[in-house]
Amino acid sequence: MPEVIQVCPIQELSPGEMRVVEWDDLEIGVFNCAGTVYAIEDRCSHDNGTLVEGELDQQACTIECPRHGSLFDLKTGKPLTLPAYVPVDTFPVIIEDETIKLEVE
Amino acid sequence: MAAPDILNPQAPALTENEELALINADYEQRYGFHDAENYLYKAPKGLTREIVEKISEFKSEPRWMRDFRLKALEHFLARPQPTWGSPLLAEVDYDNIHYFVRASEKPGRSWDDVPEDVKRTFDRLGIPEAERKFLSGVGAQYESEVVYHQIREDLEKQGVVFMDMDSGLREHEDIVREYWATVIPPNDNKLAALNSAVWSGGSFVYVPAGVHVEMPLQAYFRINTENMGQFERTLIVAEPGSYVHYVEGCTAPTYSSSSLHSAVVELIARPGARIRYTTVQNWSTNVFNLVTKRAVAHEDATVEWVDCNLGSRLTMKYPSVYLLGERAHGEILSIAFAGKGQHQDAGGKIIHAAPDTSSNIFAKSISKDGGRGSYRGLLEIAKGAHGARSKVVCDALLLDEHSRSDTYPTIRISEDDVNVGHEATVSKVGEDQLFYLMSHGIPEDEASKLIVNGFIEPITKELPMEYAVEMNRLIELQMEGSIG
Repeated sequence: MPEVIQVCPIQELSPGEMRVVEWDDLEIGVFNCAGTVYAIEDRCSHDNGTLVEGELDQQACTIECPRHGSLFDLKTGKPLTLPAYVPVDTFPVIIEDETIKLEVE
Repeated sequence: MAAPDILNPQAPALTENEELALINADYEQRYGFHDAENYLYKAPKGLTREIVEKISEFKSEPRWMRDFRLKALEHFLARPQPTWGSPLLAEVDYDNIHYFVRASEKPGRSWDDVPEDVKRTFDRLGIPEAERKFLSGVGAQYESEVVYHQIREDLEKQGVVFMDMDSGLREHEDIVREYWATVIPPNDNKLAALNSAVWSGGSFVYVPAGVHVEMPLQAYFRINTENMGQFERTLIVAEPGSYVHYVEGCTAPTYSSSSLHSAVVELIARPGARIRYTTVQNWSTNVFNLVTKRAVAHEDATVEWVDCNLGSRLTMKYPSVYLLGERAHGEILSIAFAGKGQHQDAGGKIIHAAPDTSSNIFAKSISKDGGRGSYRGLLEIAKGAHGARSKVVCDALLLDEHSRSDTYPTIRISEDDVNVGHEATVSKVGEDQLFYLMSHGIPEDEASKLIVNGFIEPITKELPMEYAVEMNRLIELQMEGSIG
């Protein structure tokens, strides 16, 4: 049974903004991409660096790893460019009571 | 028996001694000459946003490419100079480089369209003659841009594209944009960022599904001016079931101050395709050769890098293959020859990211007269790549006590059901080997050459015959006077 965790009120994450939430040992990046919120593991699968310090492309819905430039698809977690080649986990996003929540397990 | 003259088979065969006498013509005479400068444009030294914008403007590029360059420039400026690899890296002076030099208006499709002095240079290097004899197509780059490009008509009719990268972007923007920087993003490393900001020239190759280009496509890169930066960018896309062999060579005049060559090469082998990429690098010993080369091989595809490094002050180059599809195969064959004042830091990387993939890395380095040869390699087998097979062999030969060889192999395995072998040897040309050959009446310098040729033969036999002959000549040239 997945657990639901709260991230923040929706108005605290405007389009183009992103933040990290922690759950257990995991860091999860939450991204507002042109009004739609996505959540993926905040870890580049190439060398484990953080992704939320990278550049968010709201049109393409991608985040660029700031360390070596791999682009990750925020909808699928798949890397679209090398050097990363392993997808990262994605997490379902729930918007409820004007609050962003994630399903984790 | 002396090697036949491939460019002139009608010429009377030379004896070994005559052949060696010819080889005595050193780099200075064969490649080290330079032309008077008669350029349409030569950027002042140093890298600025204005120069990047000017390059983009000169080439009338689409907006997305201009933005790509400017973003890459920010990455380049933000990143520190790497501190690993070689202490010689500290000698690279980015402020003392000309980042763009234009020698002709546009690439010619006939050698008659090429400016006379530039054409003379390529004549002297034997390129037009080689084109007539044994190549499917030729691209010739002089300073920043390609001055000549031609492909055989029958291949063009089959849809094969072989043109300079600037024309590729103009004429095939959709394909270029689909694959551009997907293999090597601008922020991959400092030098890739630099190339992404100021790239100019290089080749765009597109081979349609099922088409086999039987004879090699050749690109030749020539630096002429002092303190030059050459930043070509090459993209090769081989559609399913196709085959292409691309060969590149490079030389430059010898100057007392440095030049910089920093290419980015991306290869995409789609399912069942095969790409072979051969390099015979013979830059003069004032050139820093800092190159990023990487390939992806999809299902049942094969990518082979045949990488021969003879020249340059410092080469840092590790061609890579990402085996992303099942049963993909990668091969890296590397020879490095480090003479006086040179450091060849070469090797390769193979990443097994899918089941039943296979690979080989064979690297050979020869060091003499205080030169330093390094093998630096990565073999990675990712979780899920069960059934992967790989063999890594790196051998080093030291010709004297002042020379140096290092091996930095990294192997990461995240799967149980795999087969990986690694062998490494370092040897000296032993007195017993020399004595054995000399006792059969072979002079000492000949004996030494024989030992070296035997050492590199497993790799030179993979070169097209014409290049194997040239490679052997170059090695012999480097070996002149090495004993005694």
